Amino acid sequence: MKIFIMPPNSLILSDLVERFGHEPLTLMRALRERVTSNEIEAPPLNVTVDDVKLGLKYAGIEIPSGIRGRMAIYGPLIDQAQAAIFIQDAPYSFGCVGCQRTNELAKLLVRKKKVPILTLDYPANEDEAKYMVVQVKKFLEGLK
Amino acid sequence: MIKIAQLSCGTEYSAVQSEIERAAETVGAKMVYPDVNMDRIDKAVEEFGFNPNSPQLKLMIARAMELANKNYDADAIFIATCFRCAEGALVRTELRKFVQEHVRLPVVTYSFTERTKAPQLLTRMEALVTIVERKELLARERQVGLTAGLDSGSSTTKAVIMRDNVIIGKYWLPTTDVFSSAETALTKALEEAGVKREQLEAIGTTGYGRFTLGKKFNAKLVQEELTVNSKGAVWLAGKQKGEATIIDIGGMDNKAITVRDGIPDNFTMGGICAGASGRFLEMVSKRLKVEITDLGSLADQGDHNKVKMNSYCSVFGIQDLVTSLAAGNTLADVAAAACHSVAEQVYEQQLQEIEVRQPIIQVGGTSLISGLVTAMEHTLGARPIVPKDSQYIGGVGAALLSSGLLG
Amino acid sequence: MDSDIETRLIFIAPTSDLTPDRIARFIHNLGNPVTVKETCYGVVIEGHKADVKRTLDEVRKLDPNRIFSKERAFPMGDIRRCRAHHGSRPGFAQLEKEWKDLCLIEKGLICVEKGEDPPQVRKRGKMPVNELKILVDEVSP
Repeated sequence: MKIFIMPPNSLILSDLVERFGHEPLTLMRALRERVTSNEIEAPPLNVTVDDVKLGLKYAGIEIPSGIRGRMAIYGPLIDQAQAAIFIQDAPYSFGCVGCQRTNELAKLLVRKKKVPILTLDYPANEDEAKYMVVQVKKFLEGLK
Repeated sequence: MIKIAQLSCGTEYSAVQSEIERAAETVGAKMVYPDVNMDRIDKAVEEFGFNPNSPQLKLMIARAMELANKNYDADAIFIATCFRCAEGALVRTELRKFVQEHVRLPVVTYSFTERTKAPQLLTRMEALVTIVERKELLARERQVGLTAGLDSGSSTTKAVIMRDNVIIGKYWLPTTDVFSSAETALTKALEEAGVKREQLEAIGTTGYGRFTLGKKFNAKLVQEELTVNSKGAVWLAGKQKGEATIIDIGGMDNKAITVRDGIPDNFTMGGICAGASGRFLEMVSKRLKVEITDLGSLADQGDHNKVKMNSYCSVFGIQDLVTSLAAGNTLADVAAAACHSVAEQVYEQQLQEIEVRQPIIQVGGTSLISGLVTAMEHTLGARPIVPKDSQYIGGVGAALLSSGLLG
Repeated sequence: MDSDIETRLIFIAPTSDLTPDRIARFIHNLGNPVTVKETCYGVVIEGHKADVKRTLDEVRKLDPNRIFSKERAFPMGDIRRCRAHHGSRPGFAQLEKEWKDLCLIEKGLICVEKGEDPPQVRKRGKMPVNELKILVDEVSP
């Protein structure tokens, strides 16, 4: 199944989802075509004015352009999501994941899809890490 | 190459990063990004004292801290966040104050939308570069020889002829076609001065049409209006030494500039909306069927408190005007309210971002509208100085600075 | 660029005895048509998706609970994300922290492998008012 992960660029989540036999919907894949397409109109990433308009599907015109532009990248991942894993208080990441408002909006939109969601805290010690990995495995195995 | 440090959030996702880089490149500058180690970020945020939720804003703070602590070398600073983002606006405005307390680098802030394009950023970037690169030229206090200044503004075009530090000819007219308006202004100003065009030793151009005119008239100096107008303002006001604040309410955007010995050290320029500019007063005078030149004295006879008007958006402002006229208010009260509203907008949008220093010099065509100067006085608590020929700041500044380039 | 081409980061957990150099040599010896480059935390490989996957599966076998991986958006050696040009890559800080914590995840994977029940994690919550009152009374009766 296709699993939306938050943070969508997380090494740990993306690895665990793949390891346990599912497909993580990652930011890296969403960005791939925007950094490798033949004509990049808006370097360094190809987020163009048209993309920011596409973001209107997810957030209205009164929402800052940076959120709409980010949603143009996030949004299609959310549209495909069949389940999701959210990690709270994950370490800082910048750029696409740098806007907390966008990150919260993305989670809301996933919740509105009524797909199964697992929410966990970022592990601070061994016990928490064990708990997290076991929960992720159980959650993913339970998806049918 | 001038290095402009970029502190921003959202530029790459609003399709404006390339516009920023293009604007910088056009004026011979390069955007740079102070690198920060992860372990410095929390410490920087703690030291700064405001902890935003968004990590990218934390990174902005940490990058600013690198500049403030002089760990990173840059010539100027550009701070930008998304328009309508409250958290971003807080960080943007507070960071500006913070860096300026620590380093003496020119700073410009901007809130962008996806519609922001390089030309809108160009004047600001150009001013940053001019302040860094042309410090000596900007320090010039006297005009020498026979030179002309052309100021191609969005509403009016002005020409000034100067000889040995004296204005000997001047003319203004509404801008229609950029080139023919300038041609007429220059011809008329030369007539008044009693000199021939061939006698001119240098021409300087400024304002929106500066590049077009610069090419057509083979100008020695082509420079943005922020630094040129500042020079003209302090020359006209006789305040070349020491500090001053210059308020220039223009036809399309408002500028507030603080200067030290005639050189700008901080400036703001109206951004997304041109509602509260001179253009609004033009619309008001048309609606009231009075000449723009009479609007000021009409406003002086009125009481702005009797009319509620908000010109943040000129469309809504005119709606307020129509409603208040319908409610039986006098033309004088409405004119006073319009002036007051523009002054309030300048206070709310521009003067919040700079530290107002005395004396305040009000310039530009709108400074001839006495009601607007009175409204600024009410808003600021001190009457601005309006020098003679205050609408010719751009022309005077361009004539004076171009004379500094004579061989 | 060919949409079938994938760039992948392979990470070695800090507790592993493997080195980027050893993994790079191992990948070379596999003979799969992928490009490989050493990094601070492991290697980056690039090639057709199927070849990248085959390579990754083999590398994982070297130390299953200590080898981790994720895709990368930018192709290998792309200067747009070079530290010297635009400052650190936006995801760098997170990656650095997650890499340091891979040794914790390793413990989790071992726990799963052994089929052990994980310890119950107690969330830090706010103390109920009546319990707080008892404490207050103890401190200042």
